[in-house]
Amino acid sequence: MKLLKKQGDNICFAVIVIILALMPVFLKAGLLSGSSTVLFLGKCISFAIVAIGLDLIWGYTGILSLGHGLYFALGGYAMAMYLKLQETGGKITDFMHVGGLEELPLIWKPFNSFPLTLILIVLVPALAAYIIGYFIFKNRVKGVYFSIISQALTWAAYSIFIALSPYTNGNVGITEIKTIFGSIKGEAHQAEMFKLFYLALIILVLIYALAKFLVSRKFGKLLIAIRDGENRTYFSGYKVSAYKTFIYVLSAVIAGIAGAVFVNFNGSITPSQMTISYSITMVIWVAVGGRGTIIGAVIGAFLINLCEYNLSSGSMVEIWQYIIGAVFCVVIIFFKGGIVGIVKEQLPALIRKIKGKPAETAAKEVS
Amino acid sequence: MKKSKFRRALAVLSAAALTATFTAGCGKEDDSADTVKVGLLHSLTGSMAISEKSVRDAEVLAIEEINAAGGVNGKQIVYVEEDGASEPSTFATKAEKLVDSEGVATIFGCWTSSSRKAVKPIVEEYDALLWYPVQYEGMESSSNIVYTGAAPNQQIVPAIDYLIEQGYTKFFLLGSDYVFPRTANMIINAQVANAGLEVVGEEYADMDQTDFAAIIAKIEAAQPDVIINTLNGTGNVSFFKQMSEKNYTSKEYMTMSFSIAEEEVATIGSDILQGHMVSWNYYQTTDTAKNSEFVSAYKEKYGEDRVTSDPAEAAYDAVYLWKAACEKAGSFEVDDVIAAIEAGDISYDAPEGMVTIKGDNHHLVKPVRIGQVGADGLINEIFSTDPVDPDPYLSTYDWAVKAGIQPLE
Repeated sequence: MKLLKKQGDNICFAVIVIILALMPVFLKAGLLSGSSTVLFLGKCISFAIVAIGLDLIWGYTGILSLGHGLYFALGGYAMAMYLKLQETGGKITDFMHVGGLEELPLIWKPFNSFPLTLILIVLVPALAAYIIGYFIFKNRVKGVYFSIISQALTWAAYSIFIALSPYTNGNVGITEIKTIFGSIKGEAHQAEMFKLFYLALIILVLIYALAKFLVSRKFGKLLIAIRDGENRTYFSGYKVSAYKTFIYVLSAVIAGIAGAVFVNFNGSITPSQMTISYSITMVIWVAVGGRGTIIGAVIGAFLINLCEYNLSSGSMVEIWQYIIGAVFCVVIIFFKGGIVGIVKEQLPALIRKIKGKPAETAAKEVS
Repeated sequence: MKKSKFRRALAVLSAAALTATFTAGCGKEDDSADTVKVGLLHSLTGSMAISEKSVRDAEVLAIEEINAAGGVNGKQIVYVEEDGASEPSTFATKAEKLVDSEGVATIFGCWTSSSRKAVKPIVEEYDALLWYPVQYEGMESSSNIVYTGAAPNQQIVPAIDYLIEQGYTKFFLLGSDYVFPRTANMIINAQVANAGLEVVGEEYADMDQTDFAAIIAKIEAAQPDVIINTLNGTGNVSFFKQMSEKNYTSKEYMTMSFSIAEEEVATIGSDILQGHMVSWNYYQTTDTAKNSEFVSAYKEKYGEDRVTSDPAEAAYDAVYLWKAACEKAGSFEVDDVIAAIEAGDISYDAPEGMVTIKGDNHHLVKPVRIGQVGADGLINEIFSTDPVDPDPYLSTYDWAVKAGIQPLE
């Protein structure tokens, strides 16, 4: 029982992973209405991955980044550029031709190679985050000032991507791409789709394990120490800025990987993935799920996206945003710990209350 | 001990929530014999909602009219709505949901080029059919899309021809920074150069730019006869308001706009826009018997203050053209319907006049109308052409071929 108590998060994660792993089986058995559900869950997996990265910096370290869409999109663009070149056979694309380019621009050339692309998916977000993080954290910029800077940088990157349309296809983004396993749409390509889905699931498990490993060590305690008392941590002799930079870079890399996974399922990447509103949506997943728990980020990402997917159609089509907005407000105002907090804190407290008192008064209180 | 229970409860709870949402997603497919399901995919939330709602309303109107008149091939149309939320990836996700999970016979949807480009590979890979109701930049012709709005040679090219005929010689190109204005201006540059005239400036504003002082200064310095305006959305409001603050009217700087229809005139104000020119295929004032029926039906259903516009009319036509194609094919199967479309002669007596789908490029043969904004906020036709054959790649225009603006393949 003690083991169960200690491992509750992991058990919950395992349940989610098992349900996801069974999805292709459900599809074969005809329990799902179509492979589009599986593809959508693939996108949700990538959202869960980026949410884990955000939880590391926000939930554990107290750095609220409102610009993680930037790293998500950087990873996504790297993957999309490789996939686009697979489509064109290494030749220049239509939008480059329209933009007046004669041959493949230099920045596109590395994306002809798959290993190099994989390296760049990690390296580009890491480098961007390192440069940003190094200067910001060294100068001890924190709190709301950091959030504002992260937003501004994301906005700047968004404008650059739109302005450089011969290289990035402006606000249309990179479209008409397949996946690293080729086409995954339709009955004929189901095997490829399952392969991609399980690969994404494995990446999610690995990222989750890495995050859990980090926060369970002394390193994790240090992150929490930085969150709860940055100056005290300084005075205890820790180089806070180095820790912050490291975790920020790691979280950017995780976001980049998530973006690369996302592109495979989505079949396109556009600059709207690096907008401020998209970045804030990611923060909301973590907030609703419950920050500082890792599992909360995963639950939040899945739950909110599934709700949006199913609510934003049919009769709810015009009011769904109000419903989801109301849920956000209730969670943020009344349940600071998010869904995980409700299950871990509020519910036990409520039940203790009920058990501790005569049945009648308890019933009154509940009502 | 107690806590562990709740951990377990947490697991069960989230698992239940997950499965609940799935099953909610996979509603029972009730393929009853006397209905056919179609999908409507527009942005009903987000920045594009204002524009796309009128298009969606026109589609719903057409569907209800068809149902009241007995349906298509004896079946009543049921529509499933999905919200694209003004976000291309959401459009792609929802298009996939519609064709794969909902199994719709066809989709009417999209407005922006980026949403169309995101949906295009989906309809192609699933072999589905999309009806796209908005004028656009061309350079595209998918066999799984029918484009019921104007191709560039049915809006941009004739408008520039008209201006050249009217004696305008110095053009200033102003647009929002995205694919439609960029491609449109590429075409206009080639066309104006071919006529031996001059483009005196080309400027792009961010999609949500509100300060046009710098651009207006450049216009003043360049001294054009006419401004070719491809601004979209809120940019138009700010640009024209700031021009009018400087007391510039259509007398000082004439503009020709490609994205200002009746709805935009209402937002910007007819006092500001009065006398400026626009180019479309349809106006609310278009004088056909079919149009007076359409306008009164639209106003009756959605309110007297609503106006019809070119995209709304093209969306309305799309539903009727789909009906005609299904009836000709005698089936709702996408392959049969596309075969019927490509065999040619699918036509519909639309509010804008007779429109016909060109089988080889999936665009409509339609008339071009140059209009001028009147004091009452409506647009009055000042010039019109006979129906023009669509040419999305401008391959029948020598100057366009010479300028090399066609895509690669």
